[in-house]
Amino acid sequence: MTKQETLSRTLRLGWALTLSALLGLVAVYVRAAYFTPIEITQGPAQKIFYVHVPSAWACLVAFAVTGILSLLYLWRRTLKLDAIAAASAEVGLAFGVVMLTTGPIWGKTVWGAWWSWDARLTSTLFLFLLFIGYMVLRGAVTDPETRARFSAVIGVLALVLVPFIYFSVYLFRTLHPEPPVLRAGAPTLPGSMLVTLLFSVFVFTVLYVGFLMLRYALSILRELREEEEAHGIS
Amino acid sequence: MGYPDNAAYAVVGYMITSVVVLAYTVSLYIRIRMER
Repeated sequence: MTKQETLSRTLRLGWALTLSALLGLVAVYVRAAYFTPIEITQGPAQKIFYVHVPSAWACLVAFAVTGILSLLYLWRRTLKLDAIAAASAEVGLAFGVVMLTTGPIWGKTVWGAWWSWDARLTSTLFLFLLFIGYMVLRGAVTDPETRARFSAVIGVLALVLVPFIYFSVYLFRTLHPEPPVLRAGAPTLPGSMLVTLLFSVFVFTVLYVGFLMLRYALSILRELREEEEAHGIS
Repeated sequence: MGYPDNAAYAVVGYMITSVVVLAYTVSLYIRIRMER
């Protein structure tokens, strides 16, 4: 398959997934607002949960994908792996913004404080800042091979943080609640809340894949332009 | 006993989510258009 064919396929599928997921997001809002019960002690603000948890999921998946592809890049030295890793990191940052803004809003209503420097929150913020550094580094290095090698090292180091963040609520005494679904034993959520959460996680996962494909298509477009410019010069 | 009156927090959380997701979609659209 030529680069052009890969590009048009990735763009088509990327837009189809992204637009479907955006419609799905509207359905998540409607279901969360009107068809999911209000939690008795936390009140309506608890419904932030249906966007906070899925965005955190999508963010950590995105960063984990970057880490794994970075590891593969260091082994195989294929620039395509680096391009997908970088695309995933950028998409992860977008979901990270949602996670890090909706979390404090929910925290204010439940804990009475916007932020707490506990293990889960601090390590998540650290991971987010690490990926901002990753993007800044990519912008600063012009040689593709060097850029890919340097950023892959950061990607692999960041990968170590992902399981640490997941287990931080078990390893330390934190304000952040333990996961209600991905845990040992049965989910602790009532059925209707669980359905809404799982539906939202599905929608955010599709949105992540859609964004990732579009962002990867963008890097193919840039590559094609650079090739054209190089041909123009020679 | 009634629920705490805090629906506004949920509304703000959903609005921020929508703004970020739509802004990122538009940014991808514009950047792809500019490269083509």
